[in-house]
Order: sequence, then structure tokens, then C-alpha cells
Amino acid sequence: MTETRLRLGGVSRAYRGGAGVQGIDLTVLPGEIHALVGLNGAGKSTLMKLMVGMLRPDAGGIELLGEDIRTMRATAWGRVGALIEYPLAYGELDGRTNLRLAARLHGVPPVAIGRVVEQIIDELDLGRYATVRARRMSLGNKQRLGLAAALQHAPDLIVLDEPTNALDPSGVILLREALLRRAAAGAGVLVSSHHLDEVARIATRISVIADGRMIGSLDPNGIDIERRFFALVHDAMAVAR
Amino acid sequence: MSWPVTTATGPRRSAAPVAAVSASGGSRLLDAVAVEFRKARSSRVLVWTGVLLAVGVTVLAAAMVLAVRSGDAEIMAKLGPQAASADWPAFLSVGVQVTSAAGVLAFGVGISWLYGREFVDGTIPGLFGLPVSRGAIAGAKLLVYLAWALLVALALVALLLAAGIAVGLGAPDTDVLVGLARQLALGVLTALIAVPCGWAASLGRGLLPGIATAVGILVISQVSVIADFASWVPFVAPAFWAIHPDAQTAVALVVVPIVPAIFGAATILVWRRLQLDK
Repeated sequence: MTETRLRLGGVSRAYRGGAGVQGIDLTVLPGEIHALVGLNGAGKSTLMKLMVGMLRPDAGGIELLGEDIRTMRATAWGRVGALIEYPLAYGELDGRTNLRLAARLHGVPPVAIGRVVEQIIDELDLGRYATVRARRMSLGNKQRLGLAAALQHAPDLIVLDEPTNALDPSGVILLREALLRRAAAGAGVLVSSHHLDEVARIATRISVIADGRMIGSLDPNGIDIERRFFALVHDAMAVAR
Repeated sequence: MSWPVTTATGPRRSAAPVAAVSASGGSRLLDAVAVEFRKARSSRVLVWTGVLLAVGVTVLAAAMVLAVRSGDAEIMAKLGPQAASADWPAFLSVGVQVTSAAGVLAFGVGISWLYGREFVDGTIPGLFGLPVSRGAIAGAKLLVYLAWALLVALALVALLLAAGIAVGLGAPDTDVLVGLARQLALGVLTALIAVPCGWAASLGRGLLPGIATAVGILVISQVSVIADFASWVPFVAPAFWAIHPDAQTAVALVVVPIVPAIFGAATILVWRRLQLDK
């Protein structure tokens, strides 16, 4: 499949207070890990919420896996995996049960759920927490559980908002490898982050967002990426003023 | 069917997931129902709310019988002439009166939790971007609620029967069995009029708006009782019928399903149109 995994064209969404995003164009291609970086409040989460329907755009179009988000079929949503804000983890249920329910919600057929869940438990090293209730897990393990829920059904489009939040170093490495494997197999990945070093390690493309607008891109293989990031943000802010 | 399998180098991808998803098309509500039932099974809130209602109503009814038997004049005066006989009818009368008020609160808490907990626990973002629509999830929650309410109503009847026999009211005759059936129906009907609490919890994105609505329904019931048309007010009709069962109050029960129909549909609409604005 060579379809563009994600395409945003001229997307705008304003909040009542005035913040939001404006005129955003963005694509995620098969096999690509596209990183979205920006300071807190830049609009990263708003943009990601728009991509999975948590918000509806005021203007512009959003296509996932070649389908318009407004008319997207249920089967197409089964090819999307997202973790935005809080992980889908019910406190009263243990890790394995949470993953089983998430698999069912993502359209995995009941006969395949057991296998799919055991694979992701193995891949993200969640074995110790499979029988632990989510409310007893640390924030980092809950995050790992949420990532497992977003990745286990082998989605073709992966959208993760600050996925390394609260993860320990081993969790960061496991996630990085999991994303690289999926991208190598053809998935399109979009991750937001404010850790430049981290995204530079895995991203094929880095887009910079500030004040609700796309202000440029960074070369993941370039040197002194941090200085160039701040230069971009500073210039954009100066123009806005 | 093949599924991506984990190897030494991680999962191998194939087109299988897409085909698998397609194969289960058309059963989205079933998926949602399966998930919601599994969540409800582990819910302490639903278990304890149900236990509190069933045990609470039973204890109050049994306590009335024991109090009357104690012969204390002050207690007798407070309970009134209806309870003085301390027999099955008096026992069941306390049951329906307490159920009609406490039931609204208990069922209101239950349905408020079912919908509101997704917002309070922060799990609502995970219910977007799925093959299972939020409308299906909201509908499944309603089905789970009704099943839970039926279980609670059945448990309450079973406890009342056991407690009535235990306090020495004797073996139940046909009239008593009819009374117990009426108690069961009251339980279910009370659950139906508490459905607006789920709508309020969804609209207000939390438990408190739902619980406040339960209190509001109770207030409406109390105020409506004095009106001439009281038995036709959906929120009062079940209690009216259970306390004064006759042809007129029974016919008035036809208005009750209007409440869950309107507010159930409104709840599904709220979930379908939901946006997670700041």
C-alpha cells in the first residue's frame, strides 16, 4: 500500500479563548516517522486531537489512510492507533484485560485477541504488569500500557502525543524500537514531543509548530538542532508580534 | 487467518489486520456491549450501589416489622396505621415506598458513574478514533445499565422475600407474590426514570451533574405528588402505581418509557457529537 497515511490541508480550529491552530498542512507517508515539535501550548495536542476526531476543524480537510475523516468507515479506523492525553487504562482492570478490551475496540476479531495481546505484552515487556490492576501501576507503566493499546493491532497510521512522557529509559528504548519496526513495515507514524534529542534519533522528518502555526522543519541529521529550533520559534514569534 | 507474529526482530506485518477488521463489520454494537459488560463486571461502584439499595430497603422493611412488634407506642405512632399490622402487606408497603425514593438515587448514581467515569478517569480520549463508534459505546452503556438495574431489582425482591420469612411473616400467599412482582416492576421502572442522570453526566462530563439530576428527579416527584395529574407524570407514575395499584395508576405507566426513550437517545447523541474542547 502506498497511500498517504495522513494528510491535513489548511486545517484551522480555534478555541473560545482564541488559542488553537491555523492553516495547518501536514502529511505522513508510509514508512515515515514524522515528528511534531513545539513548546508547550504550541498546538501539538490540538492538532492531534483533530486527527482522531476529538475536535472538528473549523476549516480545512483531514484524510486518514486515503479517507475523509468525516465519512471514514469503521474498518479504516481499525487501521489507526492513537494515544493522545491519557492512556486507555481502566483502573479496576489488570493490564492484560485492559489490552484485551482495547483490542476489541480496535476491531481485532475475538479469536485473535489473545495472541495479539500476548505479543504486545512481550514486545513492550509488560509481563510483570499483565495481572496488576492499572490503578496500582506507576504513571510510566500506565503509559506503557496505553502505548501497547495503541500499537497492538498493527495500525497503518500511528499518532502518539508525547509518547515518552513518564517512561523510564528502558521504556523509551522499547518504544523507539517498536516504532522503527512498524515504520519499516510500512506504517506512517506521527509523534509529538518537546524532547529534540529523542525525536532526532528516530524521526525521518521534523516539523516545528509554534503559536498554532507550522513554522518550518528541522533536519533530523543536522547538527545543533536545538539552536535551530529556538531560532525558528524566535523568528516566528517576532513576526507574529 | 494470519496475524502479525512476533519474531526475534519483532512483529511482522501483513494485510491480515485489515481483512480481520472487515470480517467483523456490522457487529460494532456487539463489540461495545462486550467491552462495557466486562468493565461493569469489575466495577465496585455498581456492586456496592446495588448492595446498598437491596440491603438498605430490606433492612428498613424488616426493622419496621420488628419495631411494631416491640410495642413501643412512640414508634407505632410514627409508623402510622398502615404499618401497625406488621404483616406482609405492611412489610411490602415499606419496601415500595423506600424503593421509589432510594431507587432513584441508587440507579441515578449507577448510570451517572457508567457515563461520567470516562470523563473523571480520563479514559474518554481513548474512545475516539475507533471502529466502534461512541454512539455504540453510549448505547452499550445503556444496555449494561438496564441489565444491572434488573439484577439489583431481582436481588432486592429475593432479599425482601427471605427477610419477610425470616422475621416470621409466614409463607407468602398469592397476594404476597403479586406484591413482590410489583416490587420487581417498581425497581425496573425506577431505573428507567433515572436514565436522564446518564444524559446529565455525559453533558456535564462528570458524576456530579448526574447525581444532581437524581436529586432533581426526586424533588420533581415530591412536588408533583400534590398535583391532580400526578399519576401521569412519568417520574411519579411508578411510585403511584406501586403504592396505590389500581386500573388508573397502572394505565398511567405507559408514560414511563418516554423518559428512557428521550434521554437514552439524547445521551447517544451527546456521545456522537462529543468534542474534547478545552
